[in-house]
Amino acid sequence: MPERPASARRRPAAPTAQTADSTASSAAAPDSAQYASLDDVSSAQYASLDDPRVMLDRDIGADLFEPIPPFPTTTERESEFYSLRDGEMFLNLGPHHPATHGVLRLVMKLSGEQIVDVDPVLGYLHRGVEKICENSDYYHVIDQVDPLEYLSSLFQEWAAVLPFEKLMDVQVPRRAEYIRVLTGELLRISSHTLFQGFLALDLGGLAPILYSFIERDEIVEMLASLTGARMLFNYYRIGGVNGDLNHEFMSRLGDWMSRALKQTEANATLLNGNEIFARRTRGVGVLDRDTALRYGVTGGNLRASGVPFDVRRAHPYSIYPELEFNIPTREEGDSLARYLIRLDEIRESIRIIDQCLHNMPDGPIMAKLPRLLRPRPGRAWAAVESPRGMLGTYAISDGSDQPFRFRIHDPSLLNLEVASTLLPGNLLADTMAIVSSLDPVMGGIDK
Amino acid sequence: MRPALFSFLKGLPRGAWDRTTLWDRLLVLVIVLLVGGAVTTIPALIFGGPPALDFAGANLPFFRFLAAATGILVLTIPTAFVIIYLELKVIARMNLRVGPNRVGPWGAAMSVIHGLKVLTKEDFAPTGADVGVFTMAPVITFLASVMTLLVIPFAPGIFGQDLNLGLLYFFAMGGLTVLGLLLAGWSSFNKYSILGGLRSAAQIISYEIPLTLSVVGIILLTGTMSLNHIVGAQSGSALDWFAFKQPLALVIFFIAATAEANRTPFDMTEADSEIVAGFATEYSGMRFGFFFFAEYVNVFIVSALAATLFFGGWTAPFNWPWAMNLNAFNPYSLGFFGWAGVILVGGFLGAQLMAVLIRLVGGRDWNWWGAMTLGSLVVAVLAIGALGLAAFIAFDWVRGLTWFMAKTYFFVFVFIWMRATLPRVRVDQLMGFAWKWLLPAALLNLFVTATVIVLVNR
Repeated sequence: MPERPASARRRPAAPTAQTADSTASSAAAPDSAQYASLDDVSSAQYASLDDPRVMLDRDIGADLFEPIPPFPTTTERESEFYSLRDGEMFLNLGPHHPATHGVLRLVMKLSGEQIVDVDPVLGYLHRGVEKICENSDYYHVIDQVDPLEYLSSLFQEWAAVLPFEKLMDVQVPRRAEYIRVLTGELLRISSHTLFQGFLALDLGGLAPILYSFIERDEIVEMLASLTGARMLFNYYRIGGVNGDLNHEFMSRLGDWMSRALKQTEANATLLNGNEIFARRTRGVGVLDRDTALRYGVTGGNLRASGVPFDVRRAHPYSIYPELEFNIPTREEGDSLARYLIRLDEIRESIRIIDQCLHNMPDGPIMAKLPRLLRPRPGRAWAAVESPRGMLGTYAISDGSDQPFRFRIHDPSLLNLEVASTLLPGNLLADTMAIVSSLDPVMGGIDK
Repeated sequence: MRPALFSFLKGLPRGAWDRTTLWDRLLVLVIVLLVGGAVTTIPALIFGGPPALDFAGANLPFFRFLAAATGILVLTIPTAFVIIYLELKVIARMNLRVGPNRVGPWGAAMSVIHGLKVLTKEDFAPTGADVGVFTMAPVITFLASVMTLLVIPFAPGIFGQDLNLGLLYFFAMGGLTVLGLLLAGWSSFNKYSILGGLRSAAQIISYEIPLTLSVVGIILLTGTMSLNHIVGAQSGSALDWFAFKQPLALVIFFIAATAEANRTPFDMTEADSEIVAGFATEYSGMRFGFFFFAEYVNVFIVSALAATLFFGGWTAPFNWPWAMNLNAFNPYSLGFFGWAGVILVGGFLGAQLMAVLIRLVGGRDWNWWGAMTLGSLVVAVLAIGALGLAAFIAFDWVRGLTWFMAKTYFFVFVFIWMRATLPRVRVDQLMGFAWKWLLPAALLNLFVTATVIVLVNR
């Protein structure tokens, strides 16, 4: 850091003649006179650099962006700002940016267009849902967690319901389990389809997102005829589901299933054969197996790095042990692999739905449970494979009608953590290819 | 209070001016302007007209230039409106949407509404912006792109200037647009803007070179840089088009022109998912509007140049079978009143006949007034079509303009199509593509063309 004379280090305290005069006059005047001059900008009382009206009158280039810190810097980021080298700058990408999937803020240190350092800043969407859950009874937890990860809210409900069922020792009816798997896999397809569209949109392609939304809309309308809501379903219950399959849902589902696979392949051709898309994603943001495991990455992002970990097979729940499906993996670990993995998973989900429809048993859809739930004191952990990875919940019961402690382990948070190791060295334009391919949803991350 | 200007109106009751509404005051203004205008212009025309005409005749090139520049500036407004509407509608269809359909028939007035919206928005400059440069930047970009239209021949006899260095002028003026973008990026006091401005500078300067080199082959073939002569060299049939003599040059030209016009997939400068809106991030109101006018006019210009250089400009794609003059049918023999009678009587009779037909076909669904209205509309459309066809046959400038616009708007459509289809390339891939592929290909094309010319002429 170059040395400067001591006088230059201190920010000048408005040393104009006019303000000096008014300082003298206001010092002499009684208090009421000071209040009377509230709008007087040049009054010494308001001639501080924190007053926006004063800043407008000043020479901004010389005053606001003094390259030498005028006082000891208070935060690490501030001191970094003063240590920027030639050609480097900080760029706040977000929290309001068209391509950061919500309110993610990435503080980037750029050298030209190349990313030197990334600092993700989270918490702009924090709602304290876990705490709210502790103050609501067990049934109400379901609709509290619903809006967390709004693209796949059924999985949030599923993850919330599972530990309570363990605590209550409930046996969920088989038909309810089939319905859960059926609706969950439908929503997984919807989420993965949207992922394709948003990845393309972030890379500048306008068309795929609209084709994705058509698929999503059909699935969501289907689920709306079953649950009554398009997005925040509030459908799963402790011990079953709320409402049996109805005619409208089944007819919509049959209609959609007859062309789902064909439509998926057709939508994939919007991007798969595109040379520009392949060049934007191939070899970009390579996440190797060890880093992925060390950071706790799960879901499609981990499977794209060659680790065949899927909660549905690794820690089976529901009826997944009875179903036939593959765990697609890829070795490359780049953005393209993460995109292709989602395509493969859509195909597997369609297989699972097909099997559910063939084997759907008759019977009740809810277990017999008291109106007010008071599980035994104890603790339970459960995890489901959400579209973004392992979505876990941990509940502690003290025997009352409210959970003593309720924690949600969101996969997007850990998936996003690797962004700060993947991004440096890439170009600014690759931020979108990398962050978007990790598929974070900020609602789930910030909770 | 009565303004001092109207103090001579002593006869008016006190406070009469204060009670007038805004419209009344505007009406007074209009009346004053009309009367004052008539009082001043009519004598000026009577006494000053003939000498002014003499002066204009004596300085014809200057006044021709003035008229051409004005005409081009005026032409840009409908051009930009049409292309914006086309883009909204075509991309909507390709994205399985409907697109604008509320304002005007099929939403056709949508771009006019966009223009009005932009005009009425706050003209805002951010704190810290260099306001002078900030204001000049869109003007520079707009004028630089519009003024390239000056050398493009729209039809035989319809062009701004027939410069013998027309192509050079075109690329020189087109290259100036980058100045506006760079200044906009710099003066906005925004990091996204400066990134966008620097990207545009790097991109346009890189793509200027293959763009210019790709047309040198044509200059060698025709021996001229005048666009009129280049069009003339392609007259005849489609086989004479340079698209077939210089196919590689066409490909290079089209790719480089896409980058030059900042269109997808090379719209680095305003990559909305990366740098928000690039150089235009801080712009609003009509300053923003100028940038987007410039962008859409640029699309038209680049398409027009592609049509002119490679697809024969205004020439027809085949030897026109009715290249006859219609002397046998002399439109002047009927005279004005004869034509007026033919149009009135023919229109009335045609409408009646059409109404009868509609009643016969449509039956009770149509009452007489409805049938008459529809019949008049059908006859009017048929008459306009017939007159247009007659003009197409009779006037070679109508024919030329039609072919020119058809070819140009085909390329406009291709640009819109690309925007709806392709993702954006990355900025380093963009530059690498320009320097590693397009530039060598353009040099190869130039070398092969020159070699063939030498061998054939030997």
